[in-house]
Amino acid sequence: MLPTESIRRVLDAGLTKGADLAEVYLENKESLALTLDEGRLEKATQGNDIGGGVRVFYGNNAAYAYTDDLTEESLIEAAGVAAAAAENANNAQVCADLTKRESPVVSRIERPFEEMSTQEKAGILREMDEVTRQHSPHIVSVQCGYTETRRRVWVYNSEGVWAEDDRAFIEFQGQVAAQKGDVRQSSATGVGGQVGLEFFDDRDPVAMMPEAADTALLMLDARPAPAGEMPVVINNGWGGVLFHEACGHCMEADFITKGASAYTGLVGEKVGPDFLTAYDDGTIPGRRGTMRFDDEGAPTNRTVLIENGILKEYMWDLTEARRAGRASTGNGRRQTFRDMPMPRMTNTYIDAGPHDPEEIIGSVKKGLYAKRLGGGQVEIGRGDYVFTVTEGWLIEDGKLTAPVRGATLVGNGPETLRLMDMIGTDMALDPGRGMCGKGQWARVSVGQPTVRVPKLTVGGTE
Amino acid sequence: MGSLDVDYLEFAKDVVARAVERGVEAEAYISVGQNTSVNVDRGEVEKLSQAGSKGLGVRVIRDGKMGYAYTSDFGESSVGKTIEAAVNLADVADGDEYRSLPAPQPLPEEDLDIYDQAVVALPIGRKVEMARRIEKAALRYDERVVLTNRCTLISQHGTVAVANSKGVAGSYDKSFIGGFVMAMAADENDRSVAFGFDFGSRLADFKPTAIGKDAARKAVGMLGGRPVPTQRASVVYSPMAATSVLGALSRALGADAMQRNRSFLEGKVGETVAADLVTVLDNGRLPGGIATRPFDDEGVPTGATRLIDEGVLQTALHDHYTATRDGTASSTGNANRRGHASMPTLDASNFYFQPGQETPEEVIGGVEKGLYVESVMNTASINPISGDYSISAKGYWIENGELSHPVNEVTIALPMQELLHNVKSVGNDLTFVPMMGALGSPTIRVDGVMIGGSS
Repeated sequence: MLPTESIRRVLDAGLTKGADLAEVYLENKESLALTLDEGRLEKATQGNDIGGGVRVFYGNNAAYAYTDDLTEESLIEAAGVAAAAAENANNAQVCADLTKRESPVVSRIERPFEEMSTQEKAGILREMDEVTRQHSPHIVSVQCGYTETRRRVWVYNSEGVWAEDDRAFIEFQGQVAAQKGDVRQSSATGVGGQVGLEFFDDRDPVAMMPEAADTALLMLDARPAPAGEMPVVINNGWGGVLFHEACGHCMEADFITKGASAYTGLVGEKVGPDFLTAYDDGTIPGRRGTMRFDDEGAPTNRTVLIENGILKEYMWDLTEARRAGRASTGNGRRQTFRDMPMPRMTNTYIDAGPHDPEEIIGSVKKGLYAKRLGGGQVEIGRGDYVFTVTEGWLIEDGKLTAPVRGATLVGNGPETLRLMDMIGTDMALDPGRGMCGKGQWARVSVGQPTVRVPKLTVGGTE
Repeated sequence: MGSLDVDYLEFAKDVVARAVERGVEAEAYISVGQNTSVNVDRGEVEKLSQAGSKGLGVRVIRDGKMGYAYTSDFGESSVGKTIEAAVNLADVADGDEYRSLPAPQPLPEEDLDIYDQAVVALPIGRKVEMARRIEKAALRYDERVVLTNRCTLISQHGTVAVANSKGVAGSYDKSFIGGFVMAMAADENDRSVAFGFDFGSRLADFKPTAIGKDAARKAVGMLGGRPVPTQRASVVYSPMAATSVLGALSRALGADAMQRNRSFLEGKVGETVAADLVTVLDNGRLPGGIATRPFDDEGVPTGATRLIDEGVLQTALHDHYTATRDGTASSTGNANRRGHASMPTLDASNFYFQPGQETPEEVIGGVEKGLYVESVMNTASINPISGDYSISAKGYWIENGELSHPVNEVTIALPMQELLHNVKSVGNDLTFVPMMGALGSPTIRVDGVMIGGSS
């Protein structure tokens, strides 16, 4: 993006006041978004976001300044602003030779977005809309969206790191509302990945729409969910969002090093059943959380978080790794060049377990089956979480008997994991629409097999 | 007013003039700002970030077909490319007869109190000092406060300029100062965390110490919290917790949701939709308000709108598009953007329940047995289409009109349609929270809420 001689001069400017480490991050993001509503292609947006920032580390602390003007002069000015915060440090450092890093992660875009016209992309949305409207006369609202994003990043630091990544994402979303009399229900769906136009070779955004419509229609006749404690079975795939929220966030190093997480100090301890193994894997080709290098230039990893029920590792970024005197796990991510990195998940999942998924449902006398989960939230310090069940079913005598609506799951992450007593053989990753918010947004993937929690609080109205 | 805003308005007008040459209606939106964020940990500046940022968004309309493009590069060729992209995208879009840009309207002359030179001039050292005061206040509150996390001070100031080919042209300056902290309390049996925050336009009103104390008080108070048995009972919402109701209500009251079958309140204008204690207002001109500004993000003057008056639904929130489509309505000045990269969408501004006469203590005192809810989670799940409302809550059990033991890991649920009718008292302590614009509520009591807890 800029010649390496320029980058070296910026890094040197960052080190002038005696900082330990200087880092340059450059980014070029291009995106196109199309929204179809009421059968009309209503919103079409295109844009380009370019900028860079200089981060200066001194001891455990860091200062950052950024600019949307990518010239050597502007970056040197930013380096000066960041360096000033390190004024009292007195480490005389010089920038090491920059060596471009290679990554084993396969992340190649076979067919760039430009090979299909905007009109053709809009045509897919029109088809999604039509199929949904024809599906049932009770459908009263359909919204579909397409987003493509190409994000290129360059990271350099004064220890000689030079890493580049090129990430391309396609996302389709659909929202459906159905109505009978006064009752109205809605359902949302999505599919996507880190991929070029070869996305269409094996995925069909049109096909997901009737399924979403079916959920909304089903919920029209559903009875209100029960309230209280009961066994809960959670579906595979996107159901892994519960592990992501309730446990994964508590394993991110920023809360760990402060002693602010429920999992602080528990490496080597039993945190779940023997048959529970979980990973954060930033190297899976084509997934939303995959990176060749993270946003601090560290290579990504397949990190074993939990193995046979024992907590093995946390997720580290550079700041927290420096604090702990260890290496990053490649989990340093930032939303844009305007943000400082923090430890974030990539593609996080519970691995397959020993139980037959049908037997898991069959084992429940009276409980709830969470077929589709919506979003959720966790309070990281204690691990308390809440989730919306967008399609729930009553389980009675081991059978799914009636759909229920308006269910919420609440619990405590570490406790839920300890209680989890069945894990299915049917591990699956989500269809590719995960977006995680932690003050900054990050694309992620989640996954899990069908799991059973014997006791969970369900918040319904009956 | 700063000396630079004239330039940005002229720049916006220039962009419009260039776009108009392509035979389109055009609008330029410019946002320029300075941001500082300071994060302290045990007195040390752990993270510090400062920078300026700028952005331009161009919206064009031809034959009712709309296109939008943005850039952060104000150079000649980048602006040209952005206009070109917007014009090309409009060709792909479908036409809509109600789609147009608003004509200029006179702006009321008044001081909205949204720009404070003291915030702009605040040196970095003072900002660091304020962040430290937040932390110190939390840690000193009680020995059971063991740590703080994310102790942050944010200050911003900037200029917004909007111009369009119908003659709209305006700009304003705005400042913001805010802080938040997470406090963690622990004793031998339990740990708990809570957030404290404060924010506003003016430096003189900003109270760092109160932020720390508030977080600490809540965290310590929740130690030993436990679920209560599943039951139907009265719930008293703190102003913070009550915003869970307002967020979904503001979306359901948007004319876009009503016109597109996506509101549980659709078709109910003129009907009683809530208890007569309930009056809901949106006021984009509330002096000093966090969502206050002279005109909205498509240049229409902001105003005050009474949406629900003593339980009766009066009107919806409108932007220029929904008002045109309605035929008889006018824009209420509620077009909103999340920065220059987003097209205007309909959103609330300072949106709030009108306060009543009772003190919060009196509201709680009126409940024999029930739940006082201090904080809630997952409010984004509340569905403005169906009215389904089920979220998690933390707070205190109310016994004979007084707070007793702390409660956590429970859900509260009731369809919004019933919840609004079941409001039984409204306090006098209106407080704003910076979410979706700014949501404000006093302490309110709602009866017959399903509490999901232990068996």
